[in-house]
Amino acid sequence: MKMINLSEERDKSLIDEIIALGGHDLVKCYQCGTCIADCPTGVSDQPLSAKRIIHMIKLGLRERLLEEETPWMCVTCEGCEERCPRGAEPFEIILAVRRWQCKEDETYIPLVLGEIYERGHTQNIVNAKELRRSLDLPELPPTVISKKEYLEKFRKLLKETEIVREYGYIFGIDEE
Amino acid sequence: MRFGLFLGCNMPAIRPDVEKAIRSALPAVGVEVVDIEGSACCPAFGTFYSVDEDSALAVNGWNLALAEKLGVDIVVQCGSCYSTLKLGRHKILNGRKEDVNKYLAKVGLRYDGRIDVRHIIDVYRNVVGLDRIRNSLKYSLEDMKVVVQNPCHVLRPSKILGFDDPENPSALKEITEALGAEVPYYERYKQCCGGSGGFSKRDKKANLEFTKKKFDSMKEEVDPDLIVVSCITCLLHLDGVQEEMRNRGMIDYKIPVFDFSQILAICQGKDPDKVARLCITPRDEVIKRILENPL
Repeated sequence: MKMINLSEERDKSLIDEIIALGGHDLVKCYQCGTCIADCPTGVSDQPLSAKRIIHMIKLGLRERLLEEETPWMCVTCEGCEERCPRGAEPFEIILAVRRWQCKEDETYIPLVLGEIYERGHTQNIVNAKELRRSLDLPELPPTVISKKEYLEKFRKLLKETEIVREYGYIFGIDEE
Repeated sequence: MRFGLFLGCNMPAIRPDVEKAIRSALPAVGVEVVDIEGSACCPAFGTFYSVDEDSALAVNGWNLALAEKLGVDIVVQCGSCYSTLKLGRHKILNGRKEDVNKYLAKVGLRYDGRIDVRHIIDVYRNVVGLDRIRNSLKYSLEDMKVVVQNPCHVLRPSKILGFDDPENPSALKEITEALGAEVPYYERYKQCCGGSGGFSKRDKKANLEFTKKKFDSMKEEVDPDLIVVSCITCLLHLDGVQEEMRNRGMIDYKIPVFDFSQILAICQGKDPDKVARLCITPRDEVIKRILENPL
C-alpha cells in the first residue's frame, strides 16, 4: 500500500512553534476525537475541540488559530490527557496554544499575572482580614502576603523571568 | 505524620472556614500541620501556565523549595493547586531542575525533589487511614445519604499524579463512608463540577446546563442529604450555582455542600460556626441533624 504524506507541501512552522511551547506530542494525534467525547465544554455552542485545534495547527492555519478563543474555555480537568489513546497530550497542546496566542498577541495575556506579581495571590486576601479573625485565624494567612520581605523576594524571583522582563507594564514595572 | 499545609488563594480569601476546618480536623487524626511561610499562588493553569512555562515552573519551584526547607511533604485541598504543584514537580525533576534552580538561586532557594505533594484525600485515606478517622468521631452521618464530588485535578493524568483509579475513584467515597454515611452510586458520579477554568465565565448558559445534568442525576437517583467535595473550586461552584439555577427556574431543590474536612470537623465536635460558617445553599438543617446524633 502506498503511504500518503498528508503533511507534504504544508507549512510546518506552526507545528514546530506549538511543539516548542509545550505541545511536544502533537504529531501523534490521528484525529480520533476521544478528546472531545468527554469534554465538559461539549455542551457549548462553541465547544473546545482539541481535535479540531490540532488539525488547524497541522494545516498551518495561523490566522484561524489566533482568532480561536475556545482554548480559554478549558476546565483543565485533563480528561482528554488521560484518555488520549495516542498519548498526544491534548491538554499540554491546549496550554501551548494559549502560550502561542499570548506571544502573537499580548492582549491574550491574562491580567491576573500582574495581580499575582503584586500580592502573590490571585485573590485579594487582605479583604478577608475581619472574617479570618472572627474564625480565630490569623488576619493574614502565613503566605507571601503576610510579610513585606516575602513579597519582595517573590517579586525578585519573577523579575528574573522572561515574561516579566518583556511585559513589564503588565506587572506595573516602568520600562527604563 | 507532619505536613506543610499549602493554602493557595481561594481558600484563605473566600472560604477561610475551610482552612479553619483543616487546621482543626487534621490534628484530631494525628497529623501535625505546619505552615509553609511565604508560599504563593501555585500558580493556577489559567495564570503563568497559560503564558509561559518557565515562569510557571519558577513559581511552582518557589512553593516546593519553601516546603523542602521545612523538610515536610505538602498537603493541599485545592484540586488545581495539587495538580499544578504535582505536574510542576514532575517536570522539574524530569529535565527542568537546573533551569528552575537558576531562578531560585537568585532568591537563595533551591529545590531538589526531596519533598512530595499530597492531596488531602490521599492523606486522609492512605496516611491517616479509616480507623483513625473513625476513632476521632463524636458524631456520625448515620442514616444520611451523601454523594461525593471527586476533584478532576487529583485523578488525571493518573500516571503522574493519581493515587486513585481515574475511571472509578473510591478514596473520597471511603473516607466519607468512614463517617457513617451511605454513599450510593449515581450515573454522573464521575462528571466534572464544571467550575474550573474558563468554561463558567465564557459560556454561562452551557455551563449551567452541564452542571444541572449532574445535579439532576444525583437528585433523581439518590436524593442526597448533602454533597461532600474536597476541592475549593468544586465547593464554590456546586454551592453557588444552585442559587443561580433556581433564580433561572432550572431547578427547584437545594442540596447542601460541604468540604470533607468541614463535615469531618463537625463530626469531631468542632464548632460549626468556625469550621462551616460560609455557604450560599443553607446547611443548618444538616448540621442540626448531625449534632442530634452523638456516638
